[in-house]
Parts: sequence; C-alpha cells; structure tokens
Amino acid sequence: MKKGLTVFLILCLCFMALPVFGEGQKEVSTEKSGYLVIFSQCNNAEPYRAAQNDSFKALWSQYDDVVFEIQDAQQDNSRQISQIETAIVKNPDLLIVAPNERGPLSAVMGKAKKAGIPVICLERDIVDAENYTTWIMSDNYSIGKLAGEYMVEMLKVKNGAPEGKIVDLRGLLGVEGEQKRFNGAWDVMNTYSGITQEAEAVCNWLQSDARVRMTEILRAHPDIDIVYGHNDPMAVGGYLAARDLGREKDILFVGVDGLQGEAGGIKKVVDGVLAATFTYPLCTDKAVEIGNKIMRDPDFTPEKVYEVQSEMITPSNAVEKFNG
Amino acid sequence: MRLNEGVQSIPAVFKKSTGTLKKFQSFTGLVLILFLAVILSPRQHGTGRILFLTPENLSDIFRQVSENGIIAIGMTFIILTSGIDLSVGSLLALAATLCAKILTQMNPSIGQPLHIFLAIFLPLMLTTGFGALYGLLISKLNIQPFIITLAGMIGLRGFARFLTNNANIDIGFGDDISAVFANLISPKPVVITTFVVIAVIMSIILGRTVFGLRVKSIGDNSIGSRYAGIPVTKTLLFTYALSGLLTGVAGVLHAAQNHQGSPNDGVSYELDAIAAVVIGGTKMTGGKGSIVGTIIGVFIMGILTNTFRLKGVDINIEMMAKAVIIIVAVWLQQPRKARSKG
Repeated sequence: MKKGLTVFLILCLCFMALPVFGEGQKEVSTEKSGYLVIFSQCNNAEPYRAAQNDSFKALWSQYDDVVFEIQDAQQDNSRQISQIETAIVKNPDLLIVAPNERGPLSAVMGKAKKAGIPVICLERDIVDAENYTTWIMSDNYSIGKLAGEYMVEMLKVKNGAPEGKIVDLRGLLGVEGEQKRFNGAWDVMNTYSGITQEAEAVCNWLQSDARVRMTEILRAHPDIDIVYGHNDPMAVGGYLAARDLGREKDILFVGVDGLQGEAGGIKKVVDGVLAATFTYPLCTDKAVEIGNKIMRDPDFTPEKVYEVQSEMITPSNAVEKFNG
Repeated sequence: MRLNEGVQSIPAVFKKSTGTLKKFQSFTGLVLILFLAVILSPRQHGTGRILFLTPENLSDIFRQVSENGIIAIGMTFIILTSGIDLSVGSLLALAATLCAKILTQMNPSIGQPLHIFLAIFLPLMLTTGFGALYGLLISKLNIQPFIITLAGMIGLRGFARFLTNNANIDIGFGDDISAVFANLISPKPVVITTFVVIAVIMSIILGRTVFGLRVKSIGDNSIGSRYAGIPVTKTLLFTYALSGLLTGVAGVLHAAQNHQGSPNDGVSYELDAIAAVVIGGTKMTGGKGSIVGTIIGVFIMGILTNTFRLKGVDINIEMMAKAVIIIVAVWLQQPRKARSKG
C-alpha cells in the first residue's frame, strides 16, 4: 500500500515536471486559426539533423500564423511510420518528411498525400515519386564529385601533378549518403592513375573514432597527401591524430557537411584545421519557401524535384560564410 | 570420459605448476597476443623495423586503451560484487559534454585555473553522484544492477543529448580557455600517467584494504556478508560511486583528447569494459578477480585492435575475431572440471 502510494506520487511528480522540459513540443491547438506544419525528422540525435531542426524552427517562427511541430523518429522506421499516421489524423496544412529509409516510408507518405496533405520529401528520395508532392534534396554524389575535383587540384599544387595518396575516413558503411560521397570523389580521382587510395577506415561518423583510427594509419603509412573525411568531425579527428604526431602540416584535411556554428565545419576551415569543406545543404530554406507557396497560393504547382547545390568552403570564403 | 578422475593421479608438483599457470592464464594470453602482433606486424617504411614494436606505436596503444582501462577498473569492482554497470558509455558522454559545456558556454569570472578546475571537478561530481545513486537504489530497493544501470544507460544518454540539444559541443583550436584545457589534458604522457596512477591506487584499494575485501565478500556471498555484519549498502554505494568517478575521469580525458563533448560518444563502451574484465579473469558471478587481470584484459583487446588496424584488416573481421578471443579467454579460465563437462 505504502509502496503503491510512493509510486503514484513519483508518477504524479514526473507528469508535473513534463511541461518544464516540454519546451518546443507545445501542444498544438486543433483550432484552425492559421497553418499547421508537421516535420517528421528521422533522427534528432545527429548534429546535422539538430542543425536542420534549429534552422526550421527559426525560419518558421518568422511566420506568426504557422504552428510548427517536430516529431523525432529516433532512427526507427516503424516509429516514423506511426508518427506520420498520427500526423495524418492531425490533418496539417503541410507535412515535411526526412525519411529514415527510402523503402519503408514510401507507402505511408503516399497515404498522407492521398489524404490531401501536401508532402515535402526532404533529402532522401523514396521509392515511388507518386508518394510525395515535391522532393527537395541535395545530391551526395555531386558533393563527392566536387570534393574529388578539389582534391585533384590540390594534388596538382602540392605535388606538381595530379598524383598522390589519399586516406578515406568513412561513415557507417551501407548508408546511401556514405556510398555516394565515396563514389563521387573516386569516380573523379580514378581517372588519374597517379592518385591512389593509401588506406581507409570506418569511423562511424565520429570524431573520436577517426582520431584513434587515423593514429594507426599514420604509423603504417608515412606518405599521405590528403585525408578525405566523409563528414567534418571525422576529418577533424584525422587532424587531431596528425597533430599529435606533428604531421598535420604535411597533410590536407577535407571534410563534408559544412555546418554553421562553433562545432561546424565552416569554423574548422576558419581555424585552419580543414583545407576545405563542402556543405551538405540543410534544404530548410528551400523547404520553407516552397512549403509557404504550396500552403498560401492555391494556383502554385511545385516542381517534382528541387536540387539545392553544395557550396565549397575554403579559407578564401570561410570567414564571410561563418559570419553570414 | 571423466577427465577429472585422471586429475586425482597427477603428481603434486604438476598440480602446483598448473595452478600457477592457471593463475597467470590471462598473462599467458597476453604473451600469445604479443607474439601474434609481432609476427603479423608490417615493417616500418624506410627503417624496416617491426612497426608494432616501435616505441611510438606501443605508446599509442597505451594511450588508446587508457579510457577503456580506467572504466574497466571501476567495472572490476562492480563485477566483483556480482553487479554490472551498463551505463558507463552514457555516463562518459555526459561527463564529456558537461565538461565541454562548462568550458565553452559558461563564463564565470573566477580566472582560468579555477574555471578549468570546475570543468573537471563538476562532471566528476555528477558521475560520482549518479554512481552513488545506483548503489543506493540497488541495495535499498533491491532491484537488480542490470535493470538499474540499464535505466541509467537509456536515461543518461537522453540527458546528455538534452544538455547539448543533440549537437556536439566543440572545444576550439584557438587560444581560449577550452583550447588551453585540451592542450593541458590531452598529451600522451598525461593520459597514460592518469591511467597508471589510477591502476596502482585501485589495485592497492582492492588488494590491501578492508573495502576491497568487503567488495569481494559481497560478490562471494551477499547474504552471508550481511549476517557477518558487513555494511553491504554502504559498500555497494561506494563501489558504484567509485565506478562513476572513474568513468567521469575517462569522460574528461575523452573530451580533451577529441576536442569536443559529443553526446553520441561512448556507445558500447560498457561492453568493451566488461569484455576486458572477463578476459582478465574476473568472474561475472563476483567474488574473484583482480585489477592486474583487468589491465591485462584491456591490453589484450587493445593490442589485438592495433594489430588488425596496422594491417588494415576489415573492421567486420576485427569484430568477429574479438568475439572468438573473448570466448576462448573465458573458456581457458574455467576450472578444469567445468571445461571438460562442456
């Protein structure tokens, strides 16, 4: 009895504490006084996605008549499917989905579209184009190609010819974006016989893993020209390892993502840690622009695909980009 | 069939020598792995030296195992009480993010040395506090350590992400206080010395103090220990607090070495620590084990990893090999009787 009462009191306290931590997940009023926008995010717990959420919140907050809500699927297809089903019941004026995987999410997005809700598919495409209204994306393969072209140019400067040794620090294998960043770069670099891959390591997108893996690579491979981190934190991890061994000046570090903020890749170019980074656009600007048109202008028909271009950040434009 | 029947007839001298061998079985394992590492090691470019044996590589290994080593030492105490701590990975992430947060996002006007002290001290207090809380909940509410620390593993990961709003907190490369901190704590000698000092102190605490004896006796026989007047609650509280403290130390080192507090770091670190402890001969059922054994376990894993990576072996093969090593190591440490039954 006493135990039951204690448990009851603890539960009461927990529920009372919820509003304190619940900032940003306010209850959405069901009255249609303005527009309701729901964003189904595949996984909040990644820096890129956190930046995407922040950007969306800031952009939508400029519109007084828009209530914006984020749902976090925590990298789980089933959870994202059920969240989208709940979203359909809420009947928003716009549904933005960053799908966790292309296959499993396709049908439920189609269900939302059939229910008359405009659906923006963000970044990853889904299987059937009929299942979304428009697809706003940035192509990892083109980003890889840009990075590859940059590395070829840098090798020409460094070694006088397009030749040199590259180390790839890779994210989780099997992830589509990872493959494309790799293939894009190597499809360019493989056209030069003098450019070879010296080593590669799977570092799971993490700076800490990259630092440890790179230390061993540096010990085993005395000649390395460029370290290509398939995201910025891994490139920075590679730099940290090289700095420990006093070899950071001999190697160029190239990253991908180019996020804003102190922890982002642009700041790392400003600091001279990375030679360059290639932005993987958050696509939020475009999504808000197109989303607003869809909601407010009944005559507007969006295109099927909008591609947001990556930008190369080097020391020549990093400071300007960081401050802007 | 019954091998243990034969054991009876083995001369006393041989029995003694197998006993000694058994005592140092994990050490024998370490020697075997070292041997393997030397054979498999590539040669250093230019000098032709065995890359594995170069002082630089050996100190790299020492540094790389330090974090896992420090955590595994705390885990040894816990496993000796027949408990477990699944939350160390999340706790490490929490310590690292809090440390980075204090350095970069708080600006108390107390001067640089005191600010750095706080950035180290407060995370340690927090992780020690969570450890003590586990100990209290486990002994007072009588809930299994697995469940309490499983809750800790989930909840603290959430807490770390909540603190940082899912982002990494970056320790910069400039000359601000966070960079000073990183340059102060991250050099190889600092990391290795911290590990060694902790190992020596903890080895003494486990082997030579009343507390150490109590830890082992709780694992050996918890009810008997209570009847014998051993303060079980207090001992468990201190044991989990100690592990929390050590995990906090590993977290601060982690933040400094990686120039960031990432709430996503430390995933599956608990498994690395547990693996090192069991390879080192500590029984999962508690009561028997040593810090020296754990450190040997830590190095077996570390050297194996290093060997594979110097060779550039596929990471999936590395994982499969580690699985085999864990099973073989633990099987070798079974008493003969149990082994032959298997």
